[in-house]
Amino acid sequence: MSLYFIKPGLQTSIQDFGRTGQMHNGISKSGSMDPIAMKMANWLLSKPLESAVIEVTLIGPQIKFENDMCIVITGAKFELCLNDNPIFNNTIIKVSAGDILNFGKLLNGARAYISTSIDIDVPKVFDSYSTHLTVNFGGFNGRALKQGDRLAFNLTNQKCIYTNKLPNYAGNGYSGRYILRCTASVETDLFTQIQKNNFSSRKYTVTATSNRMGIRLKEFAMEFEQPLDIISSGLMQGSIQITPSGLPIISSVDGQTIGGYPRIANVITADLAILGQLKANDKVSFIFISAKDANQVLKKQRQLLSFLSN
Amino acid sequence: MSKSKYQVVPNGDSAITIIFNDDISESLTKKIINLSSTIKQSLGDALTDIIPAYQSLTIFFKNEIIQLEKLINDIESLLHLPLTEVSYQSKTITIPVCYETEYSPDLIKLAEHCKLTVEEVISVHSQQCYLVHMLGFLPGFLYLGGLSSSLSCPRKSTPAISIPAGSVAIGGNQTGIYPVSSPGGWHIIGRTPLNLFNLESESPFVANPLDKICFSAISKAEFLEIEKRFI
Repeated sequence: MSLYFIKPGLQTSIQDFGRTGQMHNGISKSGSMDPIAMKMANWLLSKPLESAVIEVTLIGPQIKFENDMCIVITGAKFELCLNDNPIFNNTIIKVSAGDILNFGKLLNGARAYISTSIDIDVPKVFDSYSTHLTVNFGGFNGRALKQGDRLAFNLTNQKCIYTNKLPNYAGNGYSGRYILRCTASVETDLFTQIQKNNFSSRKYTVTATSNRMGIRLKEFAMEFEQPLDIISSGLMQGSIQITPSGLPIISSVDGQTIGGYPRIANVITADLAILGQLKANDKVSFIFISAKDANQVLKKQRQLLSFLSN
Repeated sequence: MSKSKYQVVPNGDSAITIIFNDDISESLTKKIINLSSTIKQSLGDALTDIIPAYQSLTIFFKNEIIQLEKLINDIESLLHLPLTEVSYQSKTITIPVCYETEYSPDLIKLAEHCKLTVEEVISVHSQQCYLVHMLGFLPGFLYLGGLSSSLSCPRKSTPAISIPAGSVAIGGNQTGIYPVSSPGGWHIIGRTPLNLFNLESESPFVANPLDKICFSAISKAEFLEIEKRFI
C-alpha cells in the first residue's frame, strides 16, 4: 500500500493541523499553511477533517499509485492529469494501481492539498503528523518527499462512495491580490501614526524567499529615526515584523516561537489561510480592524464554512 | 510618577502578551513561571499555548471560547492578586563540553576579543552555573542567564549557515547550546555530545525554566566515548 514519487515537486510534505502546546519548548506549530483547503479535501472524502494530507508547493509532484484509492485535490489550481486525462480540483477522483498523477503548470494560488481515502502511515510526533521542515522531524522522515520515496498507507477498507459537494462559493481560485485584515500586535503602539498609515496604504509585493517560516514582502522599506527598543515575546502566527531593513515579514507556521523584531500588526485568524496561497509577485495590502471585528469576521467565516466544523 | 510594573497588550486576535518592566532576573523568571502555571489552570481548554520569555509571558487562546478584551481584564485582575507560589523542584544539570579546537571554531577569536587566553575563557565559562530563563528559537534551545560580563562578545554580523547540533556558543551577553543544527550568529566555543532534543526519550528536553545548567570541560576522547552511547 503506497504512493511512489516519480518526481517530488518543489516542497511536498505531510501536514495536518499542526501541533499545539509545545511552543514553550521552542517548537512551532507547523501544519498546513492553508488549513481551510486542507479541511475541504478531507471533508470531500468524508474523513476526519484533521487527517494528514500531502501539501504541494508551487511545483507539483508526479506520483504513481501502487494501489486503488480515492483522492481529492484542493487549494492551489494546477493543470492536473491522471495518466493522460485532465482532472480537476474539489472532485473525487478514483485511482487504480499503476495510475500516474501529474501536476502540470500552476494556474493560481501556491499550495494544493491531496487527501487520500486511506490513511497516510507516518508516526505522530507531539501528537501531530505534520512535518517540521526547518528542524526536520515529524511527517515522512522529518523532511519533504524526494524522488524515489514510497509513502506507505494504513490498510483500511474504505469504499469510494461520497456525497459531499462543496457549495459554489467555496471553490473559487486565488486572485494573487489580497487585502489582509490585521489587528494590533505587541509593539503596534511603538510605531508612529505616520508609519502605521504608510503601512496600511502601501501595496507590498511577495518575494520568492517566502516560505513556511515567513512571508517576506518588498517595495516599501519603513524608515526609523532610531531603532525601536523591544522586549522579546511569544511570536504569533501572522505577526507582521518590521526587520532592521524596514521591510515586513509575516511569520508563519514553521516560524520561531519567540520574536525579536517589532511587530506592527497581526493578520487576523480568519485571513491566515490566505498566507498559504501567497507566492512571489503576489500583491498584498493591509487594513487595521478592531479585535471585536476580527471576531465577527471569524464567526461569519465559520458560518459560511460550517460544514467544515467537526 | 512611577512606571507601571507591567502592561497587558494584544498579540493579534487570539493571543495576549504581558510585558514586565522589571530587569531580567531569577526572581522575575520565577514570577513569570508561577503566573504561567496559574493561567494554565484557570484557562483550561481555552488555552492553546503559553510562552514564558525573559520579561514577558504570551498567552495563545481560542478566541471562540474567550474574547480578547475579557481575557485582558481577567489577566489584569489576576496580576493584582498575590501570586500563589508554585513549588518547582529546580534541577541542576551538568553538561559535558569539549572545548578543543575541532569543536570550537570561534574560541580563539572570542578570547582575543575578550582579551583573555583560551584557557581563561574555558575556565570562566565552565566555573559557574547558569539559570534557564526560557526555551525557544529552536526546539530545546535554552536561554541561559549568568554569563560573566568578561565573556560578552557581539554576535557575528553574518550568521553561520549551519552550526552543528550540540554547539555551545556565546552571543552578546548570553551563552547557549544549539540543540539541532541550525544557522546562527553566535560564536561557537565548544560542543556537547549530549542530545538536547531527543525525540526517542520520554523527556525530549533536558531542562525547564528555573533549572540550573553547569558546564564541565571534557577531552575529545571523552566526547567520543559519550557520543557513542547516543548512537
